Formats: sequence, structure tokens, C-alpha cells
Amino acid sequence: MLMGIDVGGTHTDAVLVCRKGLLAWAKAKTHHGDLMRSIREVLTAIAAKAGAKAISRLNLSTTLSTNAIVEGLTEPVGVFVSAGPGIDARAYAVGEHYAVIPGCTDHRGRVTRPLDEARAREHAARCKAAHVSVYACVSKFSPRNPEFEESLRAVVHPQADFVSCGHEFSGQLGFPRRIHTAACNASVWRVFNRFADAVQRAALDFGLMGQVNILKADGGTMPLSVSRSFPVESILSGPAASVMGIIAVCDIAEDSVILDIGGTTTDIALFAEGAPLIEPDGAVISGRPTLVRALKTRSIGVGGDSALSVLEGQVRVGPRRLGPSMAEGGERPTLTDALNVLGRAELGDVSASRRGVNELARANGMDGETLAQDAALAAVTSIRAAVIELTRAVNDRPVYTIYELLEGKRVAPSRVYVMGGPAKALEGLLSEVFPEEVVVPEGYAVANAIGAALSRPTLSAELFADTQRGRMLIPGLDVEQDVPRTYSLDEAQADAAQRLGDYLNQLGVADPEALVETLEAQSFNMVEDGELVGRSIRVKCQVKPGVLPGYREAVRQPC
Amino acid sequence: MLKAADTLGVVFFPAYDWAISPTHPERQERLLYTQDQLREEGLFDIPGVREYKPDVALAHDVDLAHFTFPGVEEVLTSSHLVSAGGAMRAARLVMEREARRAFALVRPPGHHAMKVVHGTRGFCTVNVEAVMVETLRERYGVRRIAIVDTDCHHGDGTQDVYWHDPDVLFISLHQDGRTIYPGSGFPYELGGPTAMGSTCNIPLLPGTGDQGILHMLDHVVLPLIERFRPEIVINSAGQDNHFSDPITNMNFTAQGYAELTRRLGADIAVLEGGYSIQGALPYVNLGICLAMAGIDASGVVEPQYDPERVKQEQRITDYTLSLSDQLMSYFLDPPAMPKHGKAEGEWFVREKEVHYDTDAIFERQREKVLLCPDCSGVVSIESRADSGPLCLGVQIPPGACDACRERGHEEFETGQRSRNYRRAMLVDRPGRAVKRVLI
Repeated sequence: MLMGIDVGGTHTDAVLVCRKGLLAWAKAKTHHGDLMRSIREVLTAIAAKAGAKAISRLNLSTTLSTNAIVEGLTEPVGVFVSAGPGIDARAYAVGEHYAVIPGCTDHRGRVTRPLDEARAREHAARCKAAHVSVYACVSKFSPRNPEFEESLRAVVHPQADFVSCGHEFSGQLGFPRRIHTAACNASVWRVFNRFADAVQRAALDFGLMGQVNILKADGGTMPLSVSRSFPVESILSGPAASVMGIIAVCDIAEDSVILDIGGTTTDIALFAEGAPLIEPDGAVISGRPTLVRALKTRSIGVGGDSALSVLEGQVRVGPRRLGPSMAEGGERPTLTDALNVLGRAELGDVSASRRGVNELARANGMDGETLAQDAALAAVTSIRAAVIELTRAVNDRPVYTIYELLEGKRVAPSRVYVMGGPAKALEGLLSEVFPEEVVVPEGYAVANAIGAALSRPTLSAELFADTQRGRMLIPGLDVEQDVPRTYSLDEAQADAAQRLGDYLNQLGVADPEALVETLEAQSFNMVEDGELVGRSIRVKCQVKPGVLPGYREAVRQPC
Repeated sequence: MLKAADTLGVVFFPAYDWAISPTHPERQERLLYTQDQLREEGLFDIPGVREYKPDVALAHDVDLAHFTFPGVEEVLTSSHLVSAGGAMRAARLVMEREARRAFALVRPPGHHAMKVVHGTRGFCTVNVEAVMVETLRERYGVRRIAIVDTDCHHGDGTQDVYWHDPDVLFISLHQDGRTIYPGSGFPYELGGPTAMGSTCNIPLLPGTGDQGILHMLDHVVLPLIERFRPEIVINSAGQDNHFSDPITNMNFTAQGYAELTRRLGADIAVLEGGYSIQGALPYVNLGICLAMAGIDASGVVEPQYDPERVKQEQRITDYTLSLSDQLMSYFLDPPAMPKHGKAEGEWFVREKEVHYDTDAIFERQREKVLLCPDCSGVVSIESRADSGPLCLGVQIPPGACDACRERGHEEFETGQRSRNYRRAMLVDRPGRAVKRVLI
């Protein structure tokens, strides 16, 4: 039996799924100051129904890291960066304890200027004096040669509680992204680990014997033990849970749009031929791009709790949330209040909604009904505009081969799946503005928790081989080995898949049904003075994110 | 956080599935390390810098720039259409104000492709800048255009395409043609009889460094552009003047290129040659992107950079000083007629031989332009590649006078009736059909 908990911005949802279907579900308010309280509440509500011992797996999605980062509740990080030529690395400074250490590695991983370890030691001493105890070590082109990062780690290790190295996150290039990913990871390490301790304690208290996993931004999961070293991977797992939920509940085969309309935001995701689109470079956290693998989602500030305002006769919804709806005791009318006035929803105290909307209307020389109508229309119109923009951006994304360009498929959604609290209330209006078919699945309110429950472990790996230098690396898996000059693309693909499988086994989460797919496989002839001197091989593969097929049948609903 | 002072659109298309041959300098690997460097630097994450995919040029777009024989479909591959389309996309970005500047980092290059195309020469089949220039004219009504070719090789193709066009100022800075392919690009090449002074060649001695090219930029290129008053400035950005380039002999650095780009301030740049794919391209291309976006590029230094090694010799400095003076006086007081060719009645005729080194094709041409007092004159080219059939191309220039338009059609019809030509092509523009006739 699988349990899924999705700690959202407004509600914490939990479900229990067995092979026969959805066994139980629970909902609690999210207590931002004390997430564990919400988790314990839903656990209490649900665990009793199944008997904790029967739960083989608990998957948890949490906004903890995201919130800590957004709210600035993170701890200072000592950042060591080795850059070499290029854009001045001081431009990427994060925090107050940031130093650029001389030394340079080139695009093939060759050290062209040695690392200045004396300077690194000086910076370490300064950090120690400032009582900094978590660190990030990042060097340019470290996915091609992690040597500098390892040396920096060795310098700072004796005084550190925790050290993040850039190459551990991804084999993908992106130096500023790597800096921010590693620094972010170190900055949330302590707060996340305290949370992980509490989760483990709660599991123990409830007698949960199964494995506890944390949901990642790419819609996969990682064991709680792994998440302790890579807490940054848990960011944006909320939208990922929604997307996985839709995959679990509906049988999506065509190009589609997923809308998760929550209290504060609407998250938009796109599916191409039934598969969710991935952010090719990585997620953006708090305005900074990272290497964290994530599903491609866009968030706009339109949700049930979005405040209504009138500017020069124009009714606007959001983007800010200024407390709950008036129906739920808030002080300003919200989208939910407008939907109450229109009779499309019946949430809380409908008369309070009417009072608030009418008051705002009067102040702007309108009548309440019109204002509510305009507000609802403004909400669905801005959602549609964001969907069009996202689709356009996806279809405009760069490609690098003639084949891809000429044969390139365009995403052309034919259906819009809507979930989240206000889904049902907005269904009719969405149908009016979207030419595509609008579908609200039955379990729309807890599909996110179902998604969390059914998500399976995923992992991706980027392999880089340079046969002239006789080296092969898979930075994320800490693999580095010599290869013969004859090393081929086929061997590289096999190695990448093999190593990925080994790593999953090592974590104890290997899944026989999991499909390892190759996302990219390229081999380039390296020629010097007209002679073929070797090949530059790049392979990218992943355990395909998806939901457990055995349970999928059980939760499938008419969509 | 970094931010672009000028928004920049980069059309990056490395064509990872196309090459002339596996070990050819112009092969799949060519932009690989540039891509590695741009990605690793996080260029496309800088607010104001965005990456775009190319458009794909149609045969019609190519027809406006070239007389292609036997036809576009027979001579060009998809890769050429994508590369030209990449340049077109760059133009579209700038003209539709999606970006202040644009850089088409595409391959294969194009500046050795001449007006008539039978095949590939100097790794170029289609002149991607010329296709882009015709797009600027057809779609956006741009008239006066300046092209500054900073590739180490003379931009003989672009020069040829616009030889008779007084509205396109073509300036090429290159290694002296007596020492390198294609062996042309001398100061006396000033344009055809109706467009004298719209072509400018600046041959530089082997060993010229940043100092020399920046001197020429300041003392010849920028003054000429200022005098010409173009609506748009294009940079044919070849990166093979770099000290590490394997097929040239110059001493430019990434810093030199970045500074050149900054001072030139081109609206659109299009990648040309550059075959030091590890030692130069990643750094030079990064430097150019940063300079175009108005971001500090002073940190872009090649790992092999050694100031002593790239220092410019005194004799080269002396030469550049005297050449810039000569060139300016030449331009301010040009000769009445081009050095090569002669007047035959109303026409000015030039016999030409073109060697397609990449495809081993030899072509003979008889090119004539009508010496029209009212416009730049109809151009008619008779061409035969090796022992192939004789072909005819007639071009009515943009902004042609009525008499020239009539003469153009007459020339084309006479050509058809004469049965001398197997293939004939007429370009009447702007916006009018391109006629292609198989006789």
C-alpha cells in the first residue's frame, strides 16, 4: 500500500492507494511555521484506516526548501569558486562569503592553470572566523574534470558540517547555475535535515516500516537518506506532484495542458504525446537559474485566494494573495468570493463574499455581479494567455540538428486538464476561453497527493568521454575511469545505463519496471592537423519519470 | 546579477548532423566547444540574452540573392537553407525589435558564394548574408546597408553579389590576397561602374594583430560607414584572424575581436569562417556575444594567450598607418571606371573565371551591366561551368528605372529566343516573381 503526502501552499493532502484503488484521503491546512504539524494531522487521519504496517512506501512532497529559500530563512554559505577566463565570476556572487580562487580548467577538462590552494585556505580561514559551517565548492567545467572541486572540498572539509560540490548535481554545463545549485543546497541543508529527522521520527511514531521518499522537481522520488545530501532537489516538487497526479489519474496520450489552480497560484504544465515536458536546463529558484532537473511548469499569480482590485475601471485578479477569501474570514474579496457571487462555487460564508464584492464594486461605480463576472473572466483570460506564451516558448526552443529542425514536432495541445480547489468552479469559464476540450477529472482535489504516492524513483546521468585523453566521467554518479582510445558511442550508452542501474541498486530503490532511456547520444570526431585524434562522446540518460503501473489502473478515473 | 545593456538574440545552429567530410575543417565538431563555452558561461541565462532557433530559407529567398544553376534544390542541402534561414531569423529579430542586436552563429558559412552558384567554394555554397540582406529589403524595405567582413579571407562572394549595388557598402578586412585564399581583395576593387566606391578592401599583412585591425576600423571602416549613412550595419564575423587558427597567419585575440565588435556596433552579426575550434572559437564567439550585448568582456582570455607572441611587429604597424591614409584618399577621389572590364556600347563588360575549390568546378563568366544614368543598371551574366551548358542570369536591380526594367525583360526574352542557353533566370524585384526557365 502506498501513501502520498503533498504539502501545498494552502493545504496538505494525503492519500492511501492500494492495488484496488484509492483507500482513503485526508486534507489539512498547511501550517507554514510547523509543517510537521500538518503532516502529523493527515497521517493521523489516514494511517488508522490502513494500519501503518501495511504501508510499504511513503512519498512526500514538500515546499520546505522552496519556502526557506524564498523567505530567506537559509544559513550563510562559504562559497569557493574557481573560474578562469570568461565572464567575471564575481558577477555570480551569492552571499557574503564568496571567493573566486585562481585556477582554470578548459572545456575538455584540461587544467590550463593550477588551482591556487593557498588562496582557498585564506578564504577558509575567513569563513571559519565568521562562523560559517556549510560550504559550496564549484569550478568551471567541473563536469569535465571535478579535480578542482575535490581539492577545494579537501581544504574546507575539516571545518565544515557539510560541503556541496557542483559536479555532484549534474553533468550538464552551466557554471552560474552550478554555483547557485550548490550554494542553495548547502544553505538549506540544515533546515531540511531537521525536517527529515522529524519526518523519520513521525514515521517511527506511527509505526511506518516502509521506505520514505521525497518527491523531486522532475516528478521522480529520491530516498529520504539521499535527500539529506541533496535537499535542493526537493524544490518545486509541488507542481511536480500535480503533474504526476494527472498522469496517474487520467490516460493522457495526446498533447495537453495541465492546469493546477491552487489558492495562490496556477501552475501550468505541458504534455507532448502524453509525456510531461522537462525544463531542459534546470529549474529557476527565486529568480536564479539552477541545474535542478524539473518538469517544465510555469506559475502565475492567479488562484482562489488572489485578491481582486479595480484599476481605472479594469478588474484585476492577483497576482498577490492578501489573506484568505472573505467567505473564509478574510478582509479582501478574492477570486473565490467572485465565484461564490456568481453561484459557481459555494465555499464558506457566501453572504460574506457577496458583501465584499458588492463593496468593492460600489467603490468603483460598478455592480457586484458585473465585477464578479469581470474578475472570473480576467482570471481565465490571464491563464489562457500564460498557456499560449508557454506553448509558444516551447515550440520556439532551440534545436541543434537539421533533422530536429526539419522534422521538429510542435506541441499543439488538444485538451486542457484542470485540477486544484477552484477547478470545478472555473470549468465553465475555462471552456469558454479555451478552444481545446476542458476536462476536470473526478479526483481533482487530491490528484496531487495521488501523484506523490505513485511517483517512482528517477535519476539521470550525463556521461562525457574524451577518447584522446582516454577518460570517461559520469559526474553525478561520481564515476571517473580510463577508457581505451577505441571507446565507442555504443559502449558509452551501455555504460551510462549500467552505472545508473548500479547506483539505484546501491540506494536500494531499483525498480524492475523502470525504463532507462537515452535522451541524447552524440559522438564528435576530434581532428587535429587534419588527423582524427579521438572522439568527444556525450550521452545523457535517465530513469524515465512516471507512475507505478501496477497502481495506475487502480486510480484511473474517467477523464 | 549580470544584465545585457543591449538585448541580444543569438541564433545558434551548430548543425550537428552535417559536414563536408569527416575530417574537413568545416565539420560537426566546429561549434561544439563554442556551445560548451556559451552553456558553461550561462550566456543564455543572462537577462536580455536569448537563444533562438533558425528559420529555414526557401528556394525563393535564395533566388533573390543568387543565380543558382541548375537550381536551388540541386545545389543546396538542407543545411545551407537552415544556415541562411538562421541569418534571416537574426534579421527578423532585429527588424521586429525582439532584440536590439542579433548574432547568427550558424554553419556552414557563406561569404565565398558569389552571384552565380554552381557549387561550393571556400566551404561556402550559399551566401547567407546576401540572402539575409535580400530579406531585409523584401520584407522590411531597408535600402542602405553596410556589410563589414572581418573574416581573415577576402569576402569575395559578398563583394561579387553586391558589386553593382550602390546601396550596399561592402568593406572587407582580410589577410593580403597574395598570401592566402581566395587571392583577391585589393584596394583597386571598388565596385562596378555604376557602384564605384561601394566596395572597400583592406588587405592586411600576415602577422597583423589587434592593434592593426583596430587602427583600420577607426581610420577607414568607421569613417566610411559614417559617410555612407547605412540604415543597418552587418558584420560578417569570421573568427579566423585568431593567432591559433590553423589555416591563416594573423595574430588577433579574443579581446581584439570583442573590442572590434564593441566599436563597430553592428546590428546583426553572422558567423563566417574560423577553424581553430578549440583554441579560438569558444572564446572569440563568447567575446563577440558579450560585446554585442554590452556586457563586460574583459575576462575573456584564451588559455594559450601570450602577449609577447601576438605582439604586432613595427613594420606591420607602419604598413597599416600608410595603408589607411592611401585607402581614404582613394575613396575620396576614386578613378572613373573599374580596373578590369571595358565599355561595349551601352554595356560595361567583364570576363571572369571562378574556381570552386571545394567542388572542383571551373566556371567562365561574361558579366555585363547597363551603364544607365538613372539607376544602377540591369545586370546580365552568361555563365558556363566546366563543359556544362551555358546559362543566363538577368537581374533588374532594386529601384530600377522603367527603361532598365524593360531592358531586363528584353534581355531575358532575347536570351530565351537565341537558344544559346540551357537555363535562364530573371530576377525582377522587389516583390516581383523570379523567373526560372529551362530551355
